Amino acid sequence: MKETRLGEFEEVLLLLVGILGEEAYAFKIAEEFEGQTKRAVSIGAVHSTLNRLLEKGFLTSEMGSSSPERGGRRKRIYTITAHGSRILSDSRDFKVSLWNQYPGFANG
Amino acid sequence: MSRSKPIPPKLAERTLCWFLRHELAEEVLGDLEEKFYHTLDTKTLTRAKLNYWYQVIHYLRPFAIKHNRSNSTLFTMYQHNFKLTYRNFLKHRSQFLINLTGLSTGLACVLLIYLWVTDEKQVDKFHQNHTRLYQVMSNHTDASGITTWKGVPGLLLEEIQSTIPEVEYAAATTDAHEYTLSVDDSYFKAHGKFASENFLDVFTYPLIQGSKSVLSDKSGIVISESLAQRLFRTSDVVGKDMKWHFWGKEKLVQVTGVMKDVPEGASEKFDFLMSWDYFHDDLIEYKNWYNYYGRVMVVLNSEADENAVETKIDQILKENQEGGRVDLFLANYSDRYLNSKYENGIQAGGQIEYVRLFSIVAIFILFIACINFINLSTAKASHRTKEIGVKKSMGASKKSLIAQFFTESVLLSLIAMLSALFLVWLLLPQFNLITQKSLTLSFNGPFIITTISLIVIVGIFAGSYPALFLSSFDPIEILKGKLVRKPGEIHGRKVLVIVQFTLSIILIVAVGVVYKQMDFVKNKNLGYDKDNLVYFEREGRLIEDSESLLNELRDAPGISHAALSGFMIGGGNSTGGVSWEGKTPEDQLQFWEIKSGHGLVEMMDMEIVKGRSFSSEFGSDSTSVLFNETAIDAMGLEDPIGKTIQHYTGEKKIVGVVKDFNLISLHTAVEPMIFLYNPEDTHFIMAKLNQGSEAATLEHMERLYKKFNAGYVFKPEFIDDDYQNLYTSEERVGLLSSYFSGLAVLISCLGLFGLAAFTVERRTKEIGIRKVLGAGSLKIIYLLSHDFTKMVLVAIVIALPISFFIAREWLKSFAFKIDLAWWLFAGAGMVALLIAWLTVGIQTIKAAGANPVKCLKDE
Repeated sequence: MKETRLGEFEEVLLLLVGILGEEAYAFKIAEEFEGQTKRAVSIGAVHSTLNRLLEKGFLTSEMGSSSPERGGRRKRIYTITAHGSRILSDSRDFKVSLWNQYPGFANG
Repeated sequence: MSRSKPIPPKLAERTLCWFLRHELAEEVLGDLEEKFYHTLDTKTLTRAKLNYWYQVIHYLRPFAIKHNRSNSTLFTMYQHNFKLTYRNFLKHRSQFLINLTGLSTGLACVLLIYLWVTDEKQVDKFHQNHTRLYQVMSNHTDASGITTWKGVPGLLLEEIQSTIPEVEYAAATTDAHEYTLSVDDSYFKAHGKFASENFLDVFTYPLIQGSKSVLSDKSGIVISESLAQRLFRTSDVVGKDMKWHFWGKEKLVQVTGVMKDVPEGASEKFDFLMSWDYFHDDLIEYKNWYNYYGRVMVVLNSEADENAVETKIDQILKENQEGGRVDLFLANYSDRYLNSKYENGIQAGGQIEYVRLFSIVAIFILFIACINFINLSTAKASHRTKEIGVKKSMGASKKSLIAQFFTESVLLSLIAMLSALFLVWLLLPQFNLITQKSLTLSFNGPFIITTISLIVIVGIFAGSYPALFLSSFDPIEILKGKLVRKPGEIHGRKVLVIVQFTLSIILIVAVGVVYKQMDFVKNKNLGYDKDNLVYFEREGRLIEDSESLLNELRDAPGISHAALSGFMIGGGNSTGGVSWEGKTPEDQLQFWEIKSGHGLVEMMDMEIVKGRSFSSEFGSDSTSVLFNETAIDAMGLEDPIGKTIQHYTGEKKIVGVVKDFNLISLHTAVEPMIFLYNPEDTHFIMAKLNQGSEAATLEHMERLYKKFNAGYVFKPEFIDDDYQNLYTSEERVGLLSSYFSGLAVLISCLGLFGLAAFTVERRTKEIGIRKVLGAGSLKIIYLLSHDFTKMVLVAIVIALPISFFIAREWLKSFAFKIDLAWWLFAGAGMVALLIAWLTVGIQTIKAAGANPVKCLKDE
């Protein structure tokens, strides 16, 4: 059975893939991650997690276009699968339900 | 983008490509390059490059790294070899354990011996100029041959300094001696020596305080850090005053320097240095070219020729001395610790012999352990013939099989080394206690190299025979089910067992001989009774008035005798300044000088063979002397009593002859001795304690001592202890060699045990059938053990002559020694045989007693 739970880093990356759309490849995702969270991350770490998400079936990928600043090399573009977006919304719903049960914030 | 744009670091790129999976290369390289230019927009080129490296290193993740599994045959093969090795270890657990125990104990012994040997070789090598540092030694020729001394006339120093330009530094010193020091009214005992100005240039002991000229002041003293702490409780002591005491002399000295404690690796330990000039000018009475009170060391400059300087120094003495019976020569100072023995003027070993001895023992032990491995792996070869057959028919080359067996043996020796290191770590404190060293397991360069080369050597040596032997099987024969045994194989195994036992028996005999000799040394009748003789130095008030204390001691309970004594184990003073009626210029005799008061000879229970000993009944004895028998013989005096001789202190009359006794160690024959009656100049008070109440008596003595000499340190010493100290190195060697031979025997037995187990296992069916047909247990035991018995017997036959030869060589260094009795050798042989039987017996008796039905029913 494949691991289907989602870690915090994985969840953020998954969301970033969704946000970036056509531009979702390892370098851009790492940049975006650093920009949004102010946390440093290496491309290797991002790549390795993306790879794991691929294996879990939350993402698919295909080779995209090349550009001159990468020495004419192509990039691997990631897209969220239906399974991936379901997992994301499940995760959000679960958290919202937890928030709702928390008396301190129940009304807010 | 401009044309001359900066590019990412090439090396980093190459590194990445080297480990990165092929299919990821394009995207990753692209990402990293984009990152690089992105960084370059905001940061410097260096930062960007560094970041590139950082990114590369972060790609060292399992998902991104190449898997070599499928590509390289070499890698697969090694992986396979490791796996097989592991499985073989698991499968033949007992064999593995026997090999591991044997090899790791063997290696542990070797490592311990290695540590000891390297430490011994480092002694005195810490002086910066140790290769150019020489001690001037003297060879004295007389009728009995050449005797070598380290003493030279102290006058030599100035002559060397002023006339020999090749000498960079020269220093004169004395041997370290225990003196009393006092600060205000507190008294301390400490070892010190007198040293001339350049001493600290010659011997580079570092100073903590004070400059190089610390020894130029006649009333200066340089003390060690720990002595400073002892005396003043601080090491900031330059300028402080103290008093030095020796034999009624007292000198006010001032601390001019503090030096670091003399390191562990120095052959002579001392706590303070005083001015040589003071010693030479104020303390030496007979300052001439015939008095050998100095120790002179020289540091030659780097171009100097040792032999030329030696001749020059010798020439200085020849010019100043008549007779020319003394030759000076140079000996490298740092070599002297290991090579201290001279026979007839020629260097004849010393401590180095023990260093060599133990190195050989280490090799023996390692050899024995390797033999175990060889024997067990070839014996068990039958278990692996199928494996080899299948591999060969699948196309494995002989080379790859050899590689496999070497992997196995090197891996085993690696594991053995790891457990050996653990063992060494465990045993080191105990080992240090025996060897009186402070060895540590420090993983420095040479040590690591040694361990690694040991692993490789043992692995290859132990693995070589099995590897060649097993890999040479013919696959067709094996797979047909035939057990191909080369005719030489069993033979070879036997030879190896014989070698093992030969070495073990030699070691057993060695232990026996050392033990017997040491026992002999300890219990030999020395010509006097050394038990319960205690002595202490005359100091303070005791120098003017010792008689009152002596009287009190004589009356004290628990003390049977008390007398003034100049008796010193190991010698003390010796003189050539004696002449007698009929002495020719060729008769150069050195006499040991023993100063004495009344009652010493009686207290020590020495026998007077002619005449009488010193006694107050005959008036003043101040011109009387006693000789020992050897002296009388050497002088050729018949009817010596009443004759007069010339001593350098005046004319003396012989009143008695003492039976020969051993003053110095039993390594040397008894030498001429002269007893002088000279109570004023006799340095010790000696007392004979009654057996049984020594502790209480010593306490009482201390109380009496304090009454006379308040403040001084009462430090009684036993003659018996001094005597034991003469043989510490032999004692140590004895103890160590008994441990090491014990281990050697143990390792040999492990091997034999393994072989016996194997034989029994292989012959189970045979034994079963024999039993069914009516063979008795005894018959079976005989069947299984007579082979081993024969091997051990052969080993005994080979080992005994060799060990006899070795034992005789060792005993040659003693003038008084045991006879090599036949039963010592027979005993060693019997021990070996018994041990072998015991080892094999456990297996055979089990096999002989087994129910034949059990081993025959399954097939």
